[in-house]
Amino acid sequence: MSSAEQIEDLLQLRKMRLVSLVEGTTLLLIVGVAVPLKYLAGFPLATRLIGPVHGVAFVLYVWMLIQTVSMGGWSRAETARMVLAAFIPFGAFLNERALARRQSALAASG
Amino acid sequence: MDYLWLKALHIVAVVTWIGGMLVVAVTITAASGGRAQQETAMHSAVLAAVRRWDQRVTSPAMILVWILGIALALTGSWFPQGWLLAKLVSVLLLSVLHGGLSGRLRGLSRNQQPSPPPPLRYAAAAVVVATFVIVILVVTKPI
Repeated sequence: MSSAEQIEDLLQLRKMRLVSLVEGTTLLLIVGVAVPLKYLAGFPLATRLIGPVHGVAFVLYVWMLIQTVSMGGWSRAETARMVLAAFIPFGAFLNERALARRQSALAASG
Repeated sequence: MDYLWLKALHIVAVVTWIGGMLVVAVTITAASGGRAQQETAMHSAVLAAVRRWDQRVTSPAMILVWILGIALALTGSWFPQGWLLAKLVSVLLLSVLHGGLSGRLRGLSRNQQPSPPPPLRYAAAAVVVATFVIVILVVTKPI
């Protein structure tokens, strides 16, 4: 792998970590704040605001994951774990750590 | 924002996205053939140009499609309706396909994987079929 390609891969992993954090945080805000506000306090505005943001972050995360995996170097188990974790609260934070480890390993190999 | 403006911008983003995806799908099929592998100079220049277009125009257009589409659905209060859910699933599958095509294009520009995996060989046809389904769903709202 040339150094330009390595920089590009590192940048891709960094962007994925950021999107993963946004996806995970908005999911927690929906489950922990917006839904209780809607059903317990009768305040539906929070779900209307955070819901769409989470939707866009989720699509972006899935899109970037498929793009990264299509380049090769990912096992089926790793890919499945990265997809499944996106559906579970706090799962995205595990993904973010896994991506950070991958980023350090790639940086060390250069 | 005004509904008609949202709708107009959404359609512009959709046309840009679908057009860009077709370019990537056809380029991948063309660049993966045995003969194309020999014509390396032209091959890499075309791949670089298509990749640039995909990164700078097609991918931002996809994000805009989602943002404007969700805004439109909220404006129209269409959320639990069947046609919208079916359309959302179709657009999600198209986004996944776009991710696959983008990654594949990057792999090809690095001279990896000489022939596309079977599903991506039919990517252009899949894009046209999905577009057909999505347009019918949104225009006729059959369910």
